[in-house]
Amino acid sequence: MKEKIINIITEIASDSGWEIVANLNDDTVLLESGLDSLGFAILVARLEEELLLDPFTMMDEPVYPRTLGEFVKIYENCSS
Amino acid sequence: MKIIIVTGATRGLGLAVARQCIADGYKVVAVGRTMTEELAFLLQQYSECIDFERYDFSDTEGIHLFAVQITKKYGRPWGLVNNAAIGRDGVLATLHERDIADLIKINIEAPILLTKYILRPMLINRCGRIINVSSIIATSGFNGLSVYGATKAALAGFTKSLAREVGKAGITVNTLAPGYMETDMTSALQGDRLESVRRRSPLGHLATVEDAAYAVSYLLSEQSSRVTGTTITVDAGSSC
Ligand SMILES: NC(=O)c1ccc[n+]([C@@H]2O[C@H](COP(=O)([O-])OP(=O)(O)OC[C@H]3O[C@@H](n4cnc5c(N)ncnc54)[C@H](OP(=O)(O)O)[C@@H]3O)[C@@H](O)[C@H]2O)c1
Repeated sequence: MKEKIINIITEIASDSGWEIVANLNDDTVLLESGLDSLGFAILVARLEEELLLDPFTMMDEPVYPRTLGEFVKIYENCSS
Repeated sequence: MKIIIVTGATRGLGLAVARQCIADGYKVVAVGRTMTEELAFLLQQYSECIDFERYDFSDTEGIHLFAVQITKKYGRPWGLVNNAAIGRDGVLATLHERDIADLIKINIEAPILLTKYILRPMLINRCGRIINVSSIIATSGFNGLSVYGATKAALAGFTKSLAREVGKAGITVNTLAPGYMETDMTSALQGDRLESVRRRSPLGHLATVEDAAYAVSYLLSEQSSRVTGTTITVDAGSSC
C-alpha cells in the first residue's frame, strides 16, 4: 500500500511539475512533501478510483492525517 | 464523447440544457426523479447521446455512491451542471421548518456533495467544467423567496471559492443566473405579477430556457477555458 501511494504521489508531482522531497517516509509531513492541498485531493481521488474506496468518507468523524505514515495506515486499516 | 451530467434534466431548464448538450455533441447523463414525456422522447430519438439516471437528491447520504457509480458506468465526466432545485415560496414568518430544511438540502447541500464527488474524476483528468445554476434572485431578492434566494446566493458563493481551489487543475467553475423563465417552477406566477416582471425587461420580453441553455453551452465549451469564478446572467436585461 505504501509503495502504491508513494508511486501515485510521484506520478501526480511529475504530471504537475511539482517537486517532491527526496526521501518520502512515514514521518514526512504530507503538506511539506511537495504536494499541496490540491495535490492531496488528486491523490485521494486516484486512490478511490484504483482501490474503490475512500476511507475518509467512510469514517464517522473527520480525520485529517498529518504524516505519510498516518495516511498509509488509514488506507491499510480500511482495505484489510 | 465528452460526458455531461445534468441534474434536474427531466423538465424546464435542465431538459433544455440536455437538448443543447446533445446538439453540441456531448453524451448527457440526465438526472432526476420522474421520467417525463419530453425526456422519454429525447432518450428514444438520441439513444446514443443521452441516458437517464433516477436519483432523489433529498437522499444526500447516497450521493457519494451515486457519483462513484455514474463515473464507473460512463467514465470520467467533462461537465457537471448543478441545475436541480426546488422553488418553494412563502413568507419566512410562516414558511414551515420542513420546507426550509428541504430547500437547504436539495438546493445547496446536495449540489455541494455531488460536486465534491464528481470533481474527483475531473481532478484526475485535470480538466472539467462545473456550472452552478443560481438565479438573479440571489442578488436582487424577491418577496416570498428569502430561503430560496439564500440557497441560490450560497451556490454563487460556492462557485467563487471552488473556482480558486480547482483552477490549477484546469477545471472551471461558473454560475448561471437566469431571470424569470416560464417553467413548472414559476407556473404560480401569473397575471399582474408576471406582467410586472415582463415590464422590467428592457427588451420587453422574458428570457427562455433555451436562452439560458445557450449560456451553459458556452460555459461547457473549450472556448470558455479562461472563464472561471464568474456569473453569466440571462434575464433579458431585467436586473440591469
Ligand atoms: N424558472 C425560473 O424562472 C428560474 C429562474 C432562475 C433560476 N432558476 C433555476 O433554474 C433551475 C431549474 O429550474 P426550472 O425552472 O427548470 O425548475 P423545474 O421546472 O421545477 O424543474 C426542476 C428540476 O429539478 C429536479 N428536481 C427537483 N427536486 C429534485 C430532487 N429532490 N431530486 C432530483 N431532482 C430534483 C426536477 O426533476 P424531478 O421532479 O423529476 O425530480 C426537475 O427536473 C433551478 O436551479 C432554479 O432555481 C429558475
